[in-house]
Amino acid sequence: MAKLRLTVNGAPSNIDVDDDTPLLWILRDQLGLTGTKFGCGVGVCGACTILENGKALRACQIPAAEAASRSFVTIEGLSPDVSHPCQRAWIEEDVAQCGYCQAGMIMSACALLREHPEPTDQLIDSVMSDSVCRCGTYPRIRKAIHRVAAEMREKKIAP
Amino acid sequence: MKVSRRDFVRTVALGTAGLVVGFNSRNILAGASGSQFSPNGWVKIDIDGTMTLTIGKSEMGQGVRTSLAMLLAEELEADWTRIKLVQATPSPGSDLGTGGSDSMRSSWKPLRQAGAAAREMLAAAAAARWKVDRASCEASHGAIVHTPSGRRLEYGALVADAAKLPVPGNPPLKNANDFKIIGQRTARIDGPDIVTGKARYGIDVRVPGMLHASLERPPWQGAKVKRMQEEKARAVTGVRAVIKMSRGIAVVADTTWAAIKGRTALAVEWDDPPKNAFDSEAHLKRLEAASREIGFITRKEEPPPGTAAVTKTIEATYRYPFYAHAPIETMNCVADVRGDRCIVWAPTQAPERLQKQVAELLGIAPAKVEVNITLIGGGFGRRLAVDYALEAAEISGAAKAPVQLLWSRSDDMKHGHFQAASVHYLSAGFDAQGTPVAWKHTKAGSFHNISPLDPKEVQDTAWYQDWSWGAYDVPYAFPAIQTAYVTVDLPVKHGPWRAVFAPSSVFAREAFIDEVAHARESDPIAFRLEMLRGTDVIKAGSTTIDRRRLRRVLETVRDKSGWDGPVPKGHGRGVACNAYFGHTYIAYVADVVIDKEGNVRVERVVAAVDCGLVVNPIGVEQQMEGGIIWGVSSALKGEITFRGGAAQQSTFADYEVARMRDTPEIAVHIVPSDLAEPFGMGEPPVPPIVPAIANAVFGATGKRVRRLPIRPKDLA
Repeated sequence: MAKLRLTVNGAPSNIDVDDDTPLLWILRDQLGLTGTKFGCGVGVCGACTILENGKALRACQIPAAEAASRSFVTIEGLSPDVSHPCQRAWIEEDVAQCGYCQAGMIMSACALLREHPEPTDQLIDSVMSDSVCRCGTYPRIRKAIHRVAAEMREKKIAP
Repeated sequence: MKVSRRDFVRTVALGTAGLVVGFNSRNILAGASGSQFSPNGWVKIDIDGTMTLTIGKSEMGQGVRTSLAMLLAEELEADWTRIKLVQATPSPGSDLGTGGSDSMRSSWKPLRQAGAAAREMLAAAAAARWKVDRASCEASHGAIVHTPSGRRLEYGALVADAAKLPVPGNPPLKNANDFKIIGQRTARIDGPDIVTGKARYGIDVRVPGMLHASLERPPWQGAKVKRMQEEKARAVTGVRAVIKMSRGIAVVADTTWAAIKGRTALAVEWDDPPKNAFDSEAHLKRLEAASREIGFITRKEEPPPGTAAVTKTIEATYRYPFYAHAPIETMNCVADVRGDRCIVWAPTQAPERLQKQVAELLGIAPAKVEVNITLIGGGFGRRLAVDYALEAAEISGAAKAPVQLLWSRSDDMKHGHFQAASVHYLSAGFDAQGTPVAWKHTKAGSFHNISPLDPKEVQDTAWYQDWSWGAYDVPYAFPAIQTAYVTVDLPVKHGPWRAVFAPSSVFAREAFIDEVAHARESDPIAFRLEMLRGTDVIKAGSTTIDRRRLRRVLETVRDKSGWDGPVPKGHGRGVACNAYFGHTYIAYVADVVIDKEGNVRVERVVAAVDCGLVVNPIGVEQQMEGGIIWGVSSALKGEITFRGGAAQQSTFADYEVARMRDTPEIAVHIVPSDLAEPFGMGEPPVPPIVPAIANAVFGATGKRVRRLPIRPKDLA
């Protein structure tokens, strides 16, 4: 057991945890942030995607020892009231079916749009194919990403 | 309050001032009070105007919470923003459970009746208060309005009076022309919770004092532990117990990670499987041999006198593999066994089966098992089985604490209730003029392990038909038809999957009808339409097929897809259609492109669907898109194989499913229907998509796809 200091959604934490504990389980079991989902535990499904400095990371692949002193954003940190452009677009395009993978999808989309404010379909395919949805919401995820891009272009804002 | 047995709704006071109307899904609705009544759901209107709908259907992505609320809101003239949803729990005599694409069909009448009854009682209460004629009062947007004077009372102000009134025996239901909510594009009620991370699935259940468990299961049936490092597991920080139990060895710990780590440290070595342990290649050979047997005849149409003799026959064998459900939320369950009681929180499609089996396991009465149904991160039929809840209950009982059992992805892949493999042998006979006059389809498949075999059923045609939807109900007008089912034992767990048992049969039937069209040098759509002439409505077993509806969806995809348009070299276009249990009719045109290595990509799918009355068009579109992408997975991605009795796949890396890059452009056309009731949409989109893709591959390559999934090496 070691003390781990990290910041999640702007709030600093100081917790006792084994060095090898994946960040996913720290978020879910110790910080009570269950919006980040477990899907495979080996980094191939994207359900646990979170952000650090706007970049997408797999929370199941970050051991506690590597998470120390870093600052992460989870789905709960985007907005609690659906005000984030990605959350809004997800509602407007009626993306979710079971919804389980969507937190990871939204976080991946945020990272994609930050780096490429106007992604092509090809780029969306390439980046978003790191995540799995079994309900088959992909066509609507693509539309939602384009919708956010269009909004950013119109309002000249960054995601 | 007098309620005769023929009355179907009844009010009760549930401790608070408010109006409560109960209903159940069998169309026979009774009062919510007293021992005679087991509501599957009820509507409660509080004095603050909040309308709470308690529903007995599980939400697993099919949008049932939204569409059921729409039915209620329509008849109740409710304010949509003030509807709250609560999940029902099993009670003696209740009939919960979600499967078979049945929720809308079975809820359509009772839920609207409940809403209408509440509306009529509220209107009567308002009329009495104002001392006016009921006919001069109208329900609108969560209130009763006295039309001549414009006076208005919100429902909340009327519930105390309304609760004292008798329940109308047969409240008037609205005409379809007057619908304001049914048929409207309605956003999913859980959408905001999903995009903010607030939606709670089974895996998100947290109970005070809850421990976490990971379970090491025997890799093959009957496997015994050779050795394991129990001390090393106990030495992991946070591990509380290592429990040897009937279903494996459980590691119980303070956190999920400690449980996973403890299980890894346990390093269980299992003994070697026997030489004759289950092997899917060998099983496929057994199925193939069985497909040549006569089997149990599920349908036989004798050719009318004067039918020309068969002078030429074509035949083909289609092989269908094992598939996993692979929902993204793995199996999980929280159980809290205390003395002679147990509380369960589970993402389940079968809460009553779960309650009954957990009660049997613990040796207590079902009423002592409380089952709380959570949101489900993908069901697809997997969660009709309750194995994970039994495991959780056994672990909680041994650990004497509430325990959350979480399956790893590998557990989920290896211990599924798989879609079973089958082999289909088909043949068609032509007369001397080349007219097709005979059709034969024999399916060799495996019994369903979910329910034990009843000896009475072994001679029951309907029972065999149940395992061969899509085969015995062939819609085409061959003068002679023979379909049969051959049972082949299967020692690994299997069960319903999305579209239950239909996908394999419809794949074989729709691929082979294409072969027949080709043999006759006919256009595949024109040929199907030709074979759907004659009697418009036919019966096959308990299935009624309206060929007009099937023709209409076929004509729609023909016209919308530019079917006759040019197809570039290396590309192919294919068609398939199906009448799902005679309820929902779907046709697809798929366009594929194939590279030099034999990799298939589905570029475009044009779809037409007739599901009767459409409750939520968004829901219909979503299910079509999802069903098509599900089919892309089974046509082109992973299969489950067994060696030494064990499934070989363990993650999405070796059991691939469709991803964004595999997703075709999809156009869904909802064919207007004059039917007055809705049919299901969760399963029907699945069966015809794989044959549409397979037929497109033939168009591109001239090679018939007779086994799944399609492998590049077969096409290169």
